[in-house]
Amino acid sequence: MVLKPADLGTLVGSARVIVHGRVVSLRAQSSNRTRIETLVTLDATDYFKGDLGREVTFVVPGGTLGRYRTVVSGAPQLAEGDEVVLFLGTRGPALPYLIRLGEGVFRVQRDARTGQRIVSRHPVVAESSVWQRVGRGTPASPLSVNDFGAMVRRLAGAAR
Amino acid sequence: MNRRFLFVSVVALLLASLGGLSVDAYHLQFADIDGRRVFLRWMQPTVRYSINTRAVPGVTTAQLQSVMARAFERWQNVGTAAIGFQFSGVTSAAPLEFDGLNTIGFLDEPELEGLLGLTLTTFDTVTGEVVESDIFFNSAEPWSAAADGETDRFDLESVAVHEAGHFVGLDHSPLGFFEERDGDVRLAGAEAIMFPFAFDPGNIGLRALRADDVAGVSSIYPDGGFATATGAIEGRVTLGGAGLYGAHVLALNVSTGALVGGFSLTGNGDFRIGGLEPGRYVIRVEPIDDIGVDNFFQDPSIPVDVGFRPTFLDRFVSVTAGSTSGNVDVQVATQ
Repeated sequence: MVLKPADLGTLVGSARVIVHGRVVSLRAQSSNRTRIETLVTLDATDYFKGDLGREVTFVVPGGTLGRYRTVVSGAPQLAEGDEVVLFLGTRGPALPYLIRLGEGVFRVQRDARTGQRIVSRHPVVAESSVWQRVGRGTPASPLSVNDFGAMVRRLAGAAR
Repeated sequence: MNRRFLFVSVVALLLASLGGLSVDAYHLQFADIDGRRVFLRWMQPTVRYSINTRAVPGVTTAQLQSVMARAFERWQNVGTAAIGFQFSGVTSAAPLEFDGLNTIGFLDEPELEGLLGLTLTTFDTVTGEVVESDIFFNSAEPWSAAADGETDRFDLESVAVHEAGHFVGLDHSPLGFFEERDGDVRLAGAEAIMFPFAFDPGNIGLRALRADDVAGVSSIYPDGGFATATGAIEGRVTLGGAGLYGAHVLALNVSTGALVGGFSLTGNGDFRIGGLEPGRYVIRVEPIDDIGVDNFFQDPSIPVDVGFRPTFLDRFVSVTAGSTSGNVDVQVATQ
């Protein structure tokens, strides 16, 4: 998979729905279009943009059927119980889909050292007036899911 | 000048020469099946592929065929790997159909905004053998097949070489970095074809394989004395004595500047970086906290740890041909 780089504001603008929740079920099915795809159902606990109800089912390319597995580099491998913030697109009557596949997934995990619920990725928020390098392992504290939600809501509000 | 000062100075110089690039490694496509780690690979020495007949503005079917031939040639020409590719003709079959053909072509995928290319690989979970792999390029984006690239169009060959890397069994490498400014993000540098982001339209700077890519394909299909001509580094990444999963480990050749790396891929924090030319190496460990971890890890069962500081090993590691330099343990600290 090759993507065009994008910051968080672009992701927020592209997504029709941004939802925080927990994966409750997965079901692989065959598809002429993508061979094997997986329907993922999320128990939604909070919406940062849009609303698709208490449960939302979306489609991810790849999965396992019988002894065959289709893998798509860049697509997430979600599992029951995973806590995530998802950036979803919608198109007519079709199932929602992930914006930019794995880049549309922010995993939420418990920080083993602080016990805080954090997102595992620092979103790139392009706000500098001059070109600046995006660093790795910056000394900033891990971003809590609540702070991330507030950031997303702010960007979604600014885009309206 | 004492040895420690010399080491720090050399590291600083190397990083300066890289523009501060955070370095990294090759990563193979794998799946954990019934307690076994299965790495994806083709079993036959030559893999056949078909080209879909569809053309798009800027790229004819013949040009797509030529671009893919060049893309596969780059992987086929690696002297320490034994894998070949053969064009088997054009087809009206669409990429992504499960039809026994390895099909490459353009598709309309408007819902995949921002995505330039994608490879779907289906494999047998018992043997690890790849049974089919298709590549598609998103026709919603502007493309160019021109030798020197074209302004405002994405370079098809750059994306084709990357997708061909997936086709042979490589996963993504985090070996690249971004720059941001006022609502815009761009790729500023990459040291692996398998970095999953593109340069701006018109840029053709990411067509040639890097050391990381060469090591990766050679580790899947070793040939030409790969095992005897190169060495490996093994060790652990730990935080407070506990192993870290998913730490990105980079080996930087002090003499050549070649970068090859990998990840700690067990709960014990174990890593192994193979395919290294003999020489002295700087080792750096860093968290991948700027790109979605789903770009790199197929197994979601273990959370990837990103809450630590980038850390250099405080010594050089010497690699000799045909051997493994073990017990390279890197202790990192929290941010």
